This record gives sequence, C-alpha cells and structure tokens, in this order.
Amino acid sequence: MLQNIAIGQYVPGQSFLHRADPRSKLLFIILFATLVFLANNAITYAVLIAFTLITALLSRLSLSYILKSLKPVWILILFTVVLHIFITKGGTVYYQWGSFTIEEEGVRQAIFISLRLGLLILISSFLTLTTSPIDLTEGLERLLGPFGRVGVPVHEIALMMSIALRFIPTLMEETDKIIKAQTARGANFSSGSLLRRAKNLIPIAIPLFISAFRRAEELALAMEARGYRGGVGRTRLNKLAFSWRDSCVAVAGVVLLFVIGWWRS
Amino acid sequence: MQITFDKVSHIYGKGTPFERLALQEISLTIPSGSFVGIIGQTGSGKSTLIQHLNGLLSPSSGRIQLGDVEITSSKRMPHVRRRDIGLVFQYPEHQLFEETVAKDVSFGPLNFDLPVEMVESRTRESLEVVGLDYEAIKDRSPFQLSGGQMRRVAIAGVLAMQPKVLVLDEPTAGLDPAGRKAILEGIYRIHREQGLTTLLVTHSMEEAASYADYLLVMADGKVALQGPPREVFEQVDLLKQLSLDVPETVTLVSRMNQSLPDNEHLPHSLYREEELIDHLLKRLSVPKER
Repeated sequence: MLQNIAIGQYVPGQSFLHRADPRSKLLFIILFATLVFLANNAITYAVLIAFTLITALLSRLSLSYILKSLKPVWILILFTVVLHIFITKGGTVYYQWGSFTIEEEGVRQAIFISLRLGLLILISSFLTLTTSPIDLTEGLERLLGPFGRVGVPVHEIALMMSIALRFIPTLMEETDKIIKAQTARGANFSSGSLLRRAKNLIPIAIPLFISAFRRAEELALAMEARGYRGGVGRTRLNKLAFSWRDSCVAVAGVVLLFVIGWWRS
Repeated sequence: MQITFDKVSHIYGKGTPFERLALQEISLTIPSGSFVGIIGQTGSGKSTLIQHLNGLLSPSSGRIQLGDVEITSSKRMPHVRRRDIGLVFQYPEHQLFEETVAKDVSFGPLNFDLPVEMVESRTRESLEVVGLDYEAIKDRSPFQLSGGQMRRVAIAGVLAMQPKVLVLDEPTAGLDPAGRKAILEGIYRIHREQGLTTLLVTHSMEEAASYADYLLVMADGKVALQGPPREVFEQVDLLKQLSLDVPETVTLVSRMNQSLPDNEHLPHSLYREEELIDHLLKRLSVPKER
C-alpha cells in the first residue's frame, strides 16, 4: 500500500556513485544546485542535462526507477509550467484569446523553471539512492564538524538524523500493518466526506504514536545498556576516506563551474 | 466457508529493485469447518498468504475463492464481505486505539453498520469468549491493561464481527504459558461452538498438534507439505530440512517404539498430549498376564 512512498530510498550497489565519498557527493550537490540557478540559456541547461544523464549512467540504476523519484513533484512542476506560460509576459505573442496571451518569455521561463526543479530533484535523489543513511549522516557529521567548536551539537544532530532515517521504513511498515489491521476490522479509509476521512485517521494515528514512543523508549534503553554516552571519545568502525573517485567528482565540479560560468549569458 | 487457492502468486514491489516473490503458485483447499495450522519459518510466506484471505493483498496472478466471493488480480474483495473473515494480526494489541475497552471492541461491528443494541451484546459476548469480565473491564482504558489482557481485547475486537472464518497470526507470541493456553482454548471453543473455519499461524509445533486437524507447512513461498497432522509429522526428515521440528509427543512415541517390540508399538496418531497420556495410562494399568 505504502510502498510507492519509499521512492528515493537507498538501493544497495557497487557503482562509481555508490562508492564515492558521501562528503564529496554532498558538496557536489550544493555546487550543482548553485549552478542550476546560474544557468540561464539553452547551452548551459543542455550541459547540466547531459551531466545529469551521465550521472544516471554512473549510478547503474534503471532509468525508469530514477524517473519515478520525480513522481511526487510532477504536479508541482506542471503547476509551475502552467503558471509561467500564462502569467509571464514579454517577447513575441504566440497565441491570443481575449485577454489571455501566451508569450515567448512565458514559454521560456516555463521550460527553464521546470528543468530547474527536475534537475534539482534528480540530482539530490541520486544522493539518497546511492548513499546509505549511515554514510550520509556520517558525511554530514564530518562536514559540520567545524561547527562543533562553536557549540553546535553536531554529533547529536547527526545521530537524530540517522535515527529518524533509520525509522522511516520501520514506521512505514508499522503504518501499513495498522492500516491493514483496521481495514480487516472494517475501517474504510477511501470513502466518505473529508471530515469523516480525517476522523478515520484516528484508528491509525493513535496506535502509530504509541508504538513510536514505545520504540523510542526501547531504543534509548538499549543504547544506554550498550554504553552509549554521546559523541565524546566515540570512534568509528568504518572511517570515511577520499579516493580517486572523489578526485573525479571534484574535477567534474570544477569543469562544470567553468563551463557554466563561460557559457551563461 | 470453503477456501480455495488456485495457483496464487504474490510479488512485492513489482517493478522496483526491491521486487520479491513471496508466494509461488500456491494451490490449496480448506474445507469449511476445519482447523488449519499453518507452520513455517519466518519469511516463508505465511503472513502474505493470510492477508490474501481478507483481500488486504490481491494476488499477482491466480484465483482465490472464499465461499461465493472470487478474488483475482483485477477483482477486489467487496468491503462488506471483509466481515466474514476475521483477521487477527501479529501483536494485535498494537492496533488498540479507543478510550475504553468496550468502544474498541465495538469498532469492527460498528464499521459494518450493525444496530447499536446488537453491537453491545456482541461486545459482551466476545469479551467473555476470551475470558474477560465484561462489567469489570468495559470502561477501562485498553492501555492500562496488561499485555495478555490487551491481546485478548484485540482478539475480542475481531470476534465481535462474528466472522465465519477466523485467521490468527501467531496469537500467542510473547505470552506466558498460562496466557497461551487460555487464548488457544478460547479460540478452540468458539471454533467448535460456532462452526468456524479457523486458520492458525504458529511457530510452535505443539500448538499446531494440539488443535489443528489439518496442517500446511510453508517454505520459500510454497506449500512444502500439507495433510492431517499425523501424516505431516511422519515426514520427520523433511521437516528437519525445513528447520522445523516435530512435536515432543511425536519424538517420544518414536523413541518409545524403538525399545518396544513390534506388536506393542504405540500408534503414530497419538500426537496430542492428552491422548498420549491417556493411552499410556491405560497401557500401564492393564495387567500383563500373557
């Protein structure tokens, strides 16, 4: 029932992208996002699209599965397109009907903005698709490390993140189970008025909250029982290390930066 | 209600990298009124199988016949017919949500628009079936009860719908021996009294042996063995291969037979504890004069 929400979930693998260091992937995404906003003409967008396609190939994931990560934002993209086509004015008038006009600038903006959204979502979904939650949070923790000196609880934030990520599938499964159990007891979640449907959520929400709290309590106990006492003095089982892959990522970033900087108008 | 599976397969996450074949062309027939034990290791497809019985999962291919309702990949179960099949999930106490026990138990019957007076009498009845005192417990919050009591309330919530088929997924998991016995005895009693068709998923061969009159052994999404318990328990080697055990009674009988002369062998049909004890006592009391 809820399986299609798990889009963007980590798919284990051994591709170039999987084995690159999470830190370089994170930094690269920040750079890429900036470049997406700097791009402003056909050539620069073409470069970014081509680059995204190459990344897709490097991840060795099936293209259809990757494109599914766009599914939740499809509506948003469509909405932006429609809005821009009708509202942004300027340039040649392509079509006129009463006071409605579709003009050159509107079409241009519509295409560019939707590309922007699509590219941003795709490139960040590569991160979650190819990086395990543990690596991801460790990468974050290391990147944010310097802020620890000024009193930011970096380790705690990273731990909270990894626990949250870790429990998404668990809670999803739990929700699925509770929905099924209540459906078996005759609850009907897909019909009735809006108010009635909202009321129908109570038999799901309450058991879910109770189990989430129970799990949190058990987890805290289990961690303490195994000697957890915060990040101080804690060592790592697998240390992150940069490799030739990360040099490639860095080079790609610099090249992309110059290409976009050169060609943008 | 007779239940028939005809080449039913189920695939989870079809079309994603997480695709998994959970049921493989399962065919079986469960006659009306039987008490079926479903045994198998974790991940053998037991839970997937029973979720098909209620239309919670639809088969990826194949056909299921529940009484006069047919379910296929394109034909879903009509909502009202869910009432006929009471499905008790693992750890059913996790589904409790109401303020009072009585309200929670009546959730099911009310969903099927039964008249209020009828719901109340059913709530009372089903709480008593699981061995709880209606008057004492009806106004308490389900979350103040002990684990065993919560489990019973949750089971009562399914019984209150008065299903024709009762499906229980490990109803005794995590309970103490007394609690186990009380719940199973209660279930067995209403199974007989109301002529239910009951399916009991369990890890315990002992439980299966004590109550079931038919056994399904699942392995890797297929039915590895099926038949009356006596026949299934004879396949000791196959069960061991599937990392399953035979009940201790069966082991005891075969160990005793090894040291008994051929004409005094104990029959293999003695896999129920009480029957075996009776039989042994009878033997012991017969004076050996020959």
